[in-house]
Amino acid sequence: MKWITRERPKIDRIACPWLIKRFIDKDAEIIYVPFGDVISKAKELNAIPFDIPDVEFTHYGDHCTFDYFIEKYKITDPALLTIAVIVRGADTDRHDIANQSSGLWAISAGLAHNVTDDQQLLDKGMLVYDALYSWAKYLQQEKHTQSPFENLLLGIFNKFLKEKSGAKKKTPAWAKELKEIIQDQIDINLPLSLKDISKNLDVHPSYLSREFSKYFDDLSFGEYIRKLRIEKAIQLIHSTNYSLTEIAYLTGFSDQSHFTRIFKKHTGKNPSTFKKSIKKGQPRTKS
Amino acid sequence: MKWITRERPKIDRIACPWLIKNFVDKEAEFIFVPTDQVLSKAKELDAIPFDIPKVEYSHEGEFCTFDTIIKKHNIKDPALLQIAIIVRGADSDRFDLAQQSAGLWAISAGLSYNYRNDFEMLEVGMKIYDALYSWAKYASDEHHTWNHDLVV
Repeated sequence: MKWITRERPKIDRIACPWLIKRFIDKDAEIIYVPFGDVISKAKELNAIPFDIPDVEFTHYGDHCTFDYFIEKYKITDPALLTIAVIVRGADTDRHDIANQSSGLWAISAGLAHNVTDDQQLLDKGMLVYDALYSWAKYLQQEKHTQSPFENLLLGIFNKFLKEKSGAKKKTPAWAKELKEIIQDQIDINLPLSLKDISKNLDVHPSYLSREFSKYFDDLSFGEYIRKLRIEKAIQLIHSTNYSLTEIAYLTGFSDQSHFTRIFKKHTGKNPSTFKKSIKKGQPRTKS
Repeated sequence: MKWITRERPKIDRIACPWLIKNFVDKEAEFIFVPTDQVLSKAKELDAIPFDIPKVEYSHEGEFCTFDTIIKKHNIKDPALLQIAIIVRGADSDRFDLAQQSAGLWAISAGLSYNYRNDFEMLEVGMKIYDALYSWAKYASDEHHTWNHDLVV
């Protein structure tokens, strides 16, 4: 089949052709034309238009065209699903949804700058997505172990091992460092799960869950995270002009009522009441 | 000059040749050999060994060989300094150093899996760093939304 889309591709219009050629239609011919010509040329050439508005193969909500191909052709290869999230992040400027999106975007933007012929750009882009696929399929768990430098978490794990046999009452180094990691994560507003953390620390989740409260003010992992989020929210109420909706979002609460409930549980006040009390010049020092 | 390093390059041993060829030594020729032969072959071929311990062009502390070359040759181009951090993050598993490191690592690891011939790998890798350089130089402030060109 022929497939047609807008010229000067960067992410989705390279990733989709790659997906089509490798997994859907081996003999696919990809045609790039100016935006205004896509629909008329599609009719003329009997080609399937993609990645433009008002056609079947396009963006839906926050999903990009690559996602639609995956869904439409019922693709279940986990490596491709991994790539879909990376592509979505790079294509929709949401570099937070996959670690690899920023790098993919930088390399893709640079390739588009260097290669002005769209078909040549597609050839180069195919190499990049072939590489991403091999990584996603075979190498995702691999660290660059030739590096002489221990990574951060490995270092913490070693401390964890060292402290394991040590004194019981003293806060072990790994707990201290975990505390810092959590604080960092709260600060940059990334989702954080006990499962991921335990994987990074190479400790079993149930062990971490059991041991956690010993070193974190008798709080469970979830409670501790919520406490830090509320503290961050209080700090934002004090020091910024963000609305409460924005603050809820910035501190990782996806809906306002959940934020209000948790906030009240920790401080005894509704966020709006709390905010008003500050505005009146009666700042509270600590919750 | 001839430059020699360990075989099966992934990050630093692709990024450094790219840096050397484009900004240090235009005539550079690169040789990849097994780790235990780098030093002896370097003598034999009168080549400069790099990215191997205990030579001039190597890692220093947390800095990788790419950083060492930047420092030694007094390179100031901001685009290259930015790439240096990305490379360092990708090369030393410290993806927190630069946002782009994790993606560079994934693509480089995948390329190395797909290209078993070190020179083919170098050729493709050079294109990746050319792209990173153009991005850092001209496009690093640019954001992408899918219908950007429709809106403008």
